[in-house]
Amino acid sequence: MMQKKICLLGAFGVGKTSLTRRFVDSIFSDAYLTTVGVKIDKKQLDVGPVAVSLVIWDIAGEDEVSAVRTSYLRGAAGYLLVIDVTRGQTLEVARSIQARVASEIGNIPFLCLLNKTDVPDWDIGAARIDALREEGWNVLRTSAKTGEGVEQAFVELAQRVLA
Amino acid sequence: MQELPAKVSESLLELVDAQRFLAHMVVDDEHNLVQLGGQLAHYGLAELAVGMPVADQLPFMEGMLPLFETPFLIRSLEMPSGRIADVHLFADDSVVWVVLMDMTAEHNETQLVQQKAYDMTLLSEREAKLILQLEAANAELVRAHTALAESREALLVTHKRLQQELLEAERYVRSVLPAPLTEPFVLDWLFVPTTEIGGDSFGYHWIDAEHFAFYLLDVCGHGIGAALLSVAANQTLRSQALREIDFRNPEAVLNAMNLVYQMELHNEQYFTIWYGVYHLPSGNLRYASAGHPAPVLISGMPGGPSEARLLPAKGPILGMLPRTNYIAQSAVIGAPSRLYVFSDGAFEIERPDGSMLTFDEFQAALCRPPVDGESELQRLLDFARDTRGDRVLEDDFSIMKLEFR
Repeated sequence: MMQKKICLLGAFGVGKTSLTRRFVDSIFSDAYLTTVGVKIDKKQLDVGPVAVSLVIWDIAGEDEVSAVRTSYLRGAAGYLLVIDVTRGQTLEVARSIQARVASEIGNIPFLCLLNKTDVPDWDIGAARIDALREEGWNVLRTSAKTGEGVEQAFVELAQRVLA
Repeated sequence: MQELPAKVSESLLELVDAQRFLAHMVVDDEHNLVQLGGQLAHYGLAELAVGMPVADQLPFMEGMLPLFETPFLIRSLEMPSGRIADVHLFADDSVVWVVLMDMTAEHNETQLVQQKAYDMTLLSEREAKLILQLEAANAELVRAHTALAESREALLVTHKRLQQELLEAERYVRSVLPAPLTEPFVLDWLFVPTTEIGGDSFGYHWIDAEHFAFYLLDVCGHGIGAALLSVAANQTLRSQALREIDFRNPEAVLNAMNLVYQMELHNEQYFTIWYGVYHLPSGNLRYASAGHPAPVLISGMPGGPSEARLLPAKGPILGMLPRTNYIAQSAVIGAPSRLYVFSDGAFEIERPDGSMLTFDEFQAALCRPPVDGESELQRLLDFARDTRGDRVLEDDFSIMKLEFR
């Protein structure tokens, strides 16, 4: 079976681990437990007629003192760039990570996930999201809590890496 | 390390092996596992098979080969056993060594510290956001407060202007009321509107040398609208502005007034009125009423034995029906006597306990002997206010007193 490495990137606390848990195990917990290092999960899915096994690298989030190690993306077929819609600054972190990945790894497929859409108090306006789309980013809305858009995000990334 | 004797190096390696549960795997250039060693079971990797592709057995090796950087470290990777390992990758000629070192204790400690730091950061972010929201809300409140203050100021100006206009209107309403008389009989009156301006009005004048007309009307409601109608009706009577009407004839006057003041022509307003004509030589009083309270005639010397009687007359409220036929009544006014004409506001008074003053009680108040140095009408007003339990009455208080000596 074809195996593809994908990574989840973003600022700390945006919900990368929760999205992975929702996708892999269909569970969600409100408790926040920070990721140190890397967690690797595996899930098989069918992309059209093709069965693919996704090796998912859930990489510790970026914060003010430690940047995401882009070298972890070596060999990755694509990545999910996660933003917390309730924290506007996580969008700028995502922009920064994407620029570094593009520079150091190359233009591999990625999707931008606007996570925590179940929370009504958004800190990111439509104009900023439109600006991302105008730059060619593929932006999806997700909620690890409700499950909105989660499966779709992983499937869509798989489609892109297989294309 | 190269300078260390072999025994020291081996001893150190044993120490690290004991503390870090060293395990290793060797991968050939076909990406197959070719060698295993160390404490693989500690990491849940006891089932690894030599000769099989490494990426099928160790997912973290997917995409890692050929090694692009050596040595390469994957920090704090969770292994199948739940232990946390640093994964060191070393290229050695055509093979790659994968060495695992247990870092669970360091990972847990780092996680604890990092968790607290992130929790604090998230709290600070939330606090900053809340502060921004509060500042925005506060700014909005200040704006609203300013706007409110401006509106209030504008309202005060408008209110002051309206008060001034009401005051002027009240002055005008009072200006159409005639001065009290002392000859050939005494006529006194009291007019206290419940609001700044009321719907009551009254007047009197000599029609000719022998006939004296006096009247009191009460327009429904209070305020400017009622006052305008009451003044207009008063002026009609005072100036005798009803064509071909003999103002000595009360029934003709009320019938004509009814035609002129139909409510659909006057903002749906109507009024009660009592109109009387006193013939001075004979002492005969002819009067008619349009739904107005009957006046009270008290015969006898003030303070002495007296007899009170009503001067009733039937007739519908003026302005409500297009055709009316008011019928005048007559009474001979002897002397000494006092005749009181008033609006319903003078006696329809609710006490604080909810009960109403009765007409008999009001009439008894009228019959009380006068007190020297005290205005009788003021005393009646005080009586009404005492009954009400408030200086402000619910309705206009209007009363005329004609005293025949």
